Amino acid sequence: MSALVFGASAGLGRALARELASRGENLVLVARNPEDLAAEAAHLRTVYGATVEWMALDASDPRATEELTELAGAAAIRDLFFPIGMGIEEDDGSLPPATIAALVSANLTSVMAAVSLFLPRLLAANVGNIIGIGSVAALRGRSRNVAYAAAKRGLESYFESLRHRTAASGVRVQFYRLGYLDTQMSFGRHLPFPKASVQAIACTVMRNLGKDVGCMPLPAFWRPVGWALRALPWRIYRRLNF
Amino acid sequence: MDGGVRVASAAVQRPDRHAHFRKHENALPAIPRGAGFSFAAASFGSGAESIEVTAFDRVLDFDTRTGQVEVEAGATLGALFEILAVRGYYLPVQPGHHRITVGGCIAANVHGKNPARDGTFVAQVESVRLFHPHHGCLELSRDKEPALFHATCGGMGLTGIIVAARLRTQRLPGASLRVAHRQVTTIAEGAGLLTEDAARSDLAYGWFDCARRGRAHGRGIVVTGQFVSTRETESTLKLPRSRFSPEARAWLPFSLLNPASIRLVNAAYFWSLRRSSNTIVTLADGLYPTRANELYLSLFGRRGLHECQALVPHANLAEFAARLRDHATRAGACITLTVAKPFNGTSDLIRFDGSGISLAIEMPRSAAADRLLPEVDRLVVDLGGRPNIIKDSRLPRSIFEATYPDCDRFRTILRRWDPQRLFRSELSERLGL
Repeated sequence: MSALVFGASAGLGRALARELASRGENLVLVARNPEDLAAEAAHLRTVYGATVEWMALDASDPRATEELTELAGAAAIRDLFFPIGMGIEEDDGSLPPATIAALVSANLTSVMAAVSLFLPRLLAANVGNIIGIGSVAALRGRSRNVAYAAAKRGLESYFESLRHRTAASGVRVQFYRLGYLDTQMSFGRHLPFPKASVQAIACTVMRNLGKDVGCMPLPAFWRPVGWALRALPWRIYRRLNF
Repeated sequence: MDGGVRVASAAVQRPDRHAHFRKHENALPAIPRGAGFSFAAASFGSGAESIEVTAFDRVLDFDTRTGQVEVEAGATLGALFEILAVRGYYLPVQPGHHRITVGGCIAANVHGKNPARDGTFVAQVESVRLFHPHHGCLELSRDKEPALFHATCGGMGLTGIIVAARLRTQRLPGASLRVAHRQVTTIAEGAGLLTEDAARSDLAYGWFDCARRGRAHGRGIVVTGQFVSTRETESTLKLPRSRFSPEARAWLPFSLLNPASIRLVNAAYFWSLRRSSNTIVTLADGLYPTRANELYLSLFGRRGLHECQALVPHANLAEFAARLRDHATRAGACITLTVAKPFNGTSDLIRFDGSGISLAIEMPRSAAADRLLPEVDRLVVDLGGRPNIIKDSRLPRSIFEATYPDCDRFRTILRRWDPQRLFRSELSERLGL
């Protein structure tokens, strides 16, 4: 049995790959840069003795996931992890069309395309986990990340459908709505809420494998924050500058 | 870390992808940073962006045939220890805290528990991968670009960013250390024992009480240890977690150390060691003793401490100790800690090495310390000693130049490699490098 980890060379993807390797799982790592992938694969082999393959693939290219077709047909992959995402500073509703396409591909369509390649085999085997990673940005749309929030909300909807599709099977579909993470993206930035460590998130995800947790905000304090944010009447919400 | 130098707005970035190490021409002044544990301000400076390499923490290869491990610069000594120890290997030269990074050890050419026998960190470096924006990534070793290799090992990060290195490990002779404590009455007596025992010890240092007045001044304990085979268990090879950082060290708003409390702490420490003449300690405690000193270091409070360390020739040590005592009394300074280690190497470029005994002293930051330290500087120069530039955040350029005759050669190599002098820190600006 193998696990496929998208975005495996940095941040949460790296933490998940290390957790999986320490549990003796075989791995296929996917990320953009071959150098980063080779280094991470070498680490997992040297430290954990894991069997690791990797594939360089740019998820912001809508057609790139086609390269996974062969892998989906051949390998005994049972667990799919999608800790990927792409945010852009100037995402205020006026991004050029090509950038929007890349952003939506990296956050939404590449995940949908990849899942569709593997789903028939998982359903046939009646076993497996599909893990989606969303963002608290999808709670309510805001002017600072117009396209990103839309793509992440789309991803939530997609994972809900996927959970419904697999409900009668042994395949578990889980979705984590994450707050700020302590990664290179947030490094040195002062944020209104604390940053969670990727190791802690990875441990929680591992603990929940095989369980029907649905959509789970992480860390847990984001659940009441989410309720409050959604309950805010428009009259107040429109004045918020965040 | 010592509270001596602070920057108002630190520009730090923490890249996590190799794309950062691409050749480009329009780079801004920068300085690499590891765990940020050095006492001197070597990993930051005004006008230079600190590039923290802690996300590059991978162990890329371990060859049991040669015993060589290839590791990225941000890997901590503790992480590497846990990976190597279960395979029966270790690095003989390691500084006292397990959260220090491999890159930092190379850049500062740190020493370990017995420099007289094991040398300094460069002795176990086989090769280094160095990044400089104008040159890209380069492999350096004693055969490939030797001048740059030697300038990078102990080059304080001024040649560029160490991305990865291949290190020489050794067979771990045992899972514990048998440690002997011997009481001595003077620093010179302790130094004699250390020099005698260095060749047959895996660990050799002396601790002295220089806070005492009268005859007890300079009494101390000589600590020597050897690896012993005990039953290995998972727990003996696992290191406890530590959240120590420069900010954590400075959490107390004021110092709790004054002459009275220092004498009390030192007396308690002396008696506790005296009673345990022969003990078995875990590898974690033996290899990383600074972890046990985290509380002591935080007692200096936000204002911090001064540490200075000097390598003094054997022949001049007794005179050095006597004159240090006189100067400390005259200045009214209270020395909290004095640690001696035996050295038996040769210094190259700006590396802290040589033959003699190194004495590290610590004291709270105060007007008395400000009076004492220039006297210590002069004493080091007078007696043919050499200060350690990574330990002393205030070491003046004139003293550095008087004690490192090779510093101009280092400058020449550096300028030939990087005419624009892209990599700079508070340390390099202060010492005119």
